[in-house]
Amino acid sequence: MNKTEFLSCLEKKLAGLPENEVEKTRSFYLEMIDDRSEDGMSEEEAVAAMGNIDDIVKAAMLELPLTTLMKTKMRPKARLKAWEIVLLVLGFPLWFTLLAAFVVVILSVYVSVWAVIISLYATVAALVLSGLAGIFGGLFCLFQNFAASLFILGSGLICGGIGILAFFGVTALSVWLVKLTGLFLRWIKSLFITREVDYEINN
Amino acid sequence: MDVQLKKGLLETCVLTVLNRGDSYGYQIIKDASPYLEISESTLYPILKRLESSDCLNVYSVEHNGRLRKYYKITDAGREKIETFLESWKEVMTVYNFITEEMRSSDNE
Repeated sequence: MNKTEFLSCLEKKLAGLPENEVEKTRSFYLEMIDDRSEDGMSEEEAVAAMGNIDDIVKAAMLELPLTTLMKTKMRPKARLKAWEIVLLVLGFPLWFTLLAAFVVVILSVYVSVWAVIISLYATVAALVLSGLAGIFGGLFCLFQNFAASLFILGSGLICGGIGILAFFGVTALSVWLVKLTGLFLRWIKSLFITREVDYEINN
Repeated sequence: MDVQLKKGLLETCVLTVLNRGDSYGYQIIKDASPYLEISESTLYPILKRLESSDCLNVYSVEHNGRLRKYYKITDAGREKIETFLESWKEVMTVYNFITEEMRSSDNE
């Protein structure tokens, strides 16, 4: 590969990145090739010394902020062709429902996790409340029916005790559940940027 | 070698080369390569990162009818070298302990 071929190939693979990034990368490698040629290498040798173009492109992409990277990845490489637009419009009932289903699935995971947390806290609140009711109710009718009021008082204390203990358990459990939803969100994100993340791990 | 470790070593190595005096890409590679394996595709992101963290400045000089980019170390860059030396004192202490220990256990 000669210099011109190398640079045009590089530019093509970097297409989609911000223009000044492409220009900076291009001029860096151009300078490198020129310096090597001046040092006595042939043009082909100098180009070969630059290494694999794909590595260069990956290295340049990894340095970009994630937002720029996402925009680059999301933006179609070429303008949409007429038949692609037609296909998009005709396929609307299909892809829109799939997309909606995807969003709804994510949403339902969130809703069910929060529903579990809310119901657990509701149970704790019910236990504590019935505990209070039992204690006051038991004391209130202490002189009317001693045996029954003692029973109510005892049940109230048991409920209150379980409620207080359960509160700590439920708090720990909900912290864990919230963490779990965080992991879930990260997993969803990773579906979009798997390739970049894999690259980072492998290097 | 561990990736993060190599990244840090390469950055400090490039800064140390620049501490001798301003230099350009190919010269940096030639100066650093006896000590660390460094190629164009690794140098480019390093220079970018060092520039964005204000460890070096870039200026262009005309050379044989084309522009060549020169890199100049800043105070922040020199500070980075100092921090590196400081934190590696600890690493070296552990390294010496491990080599001593292994040598004496080999002799037994």
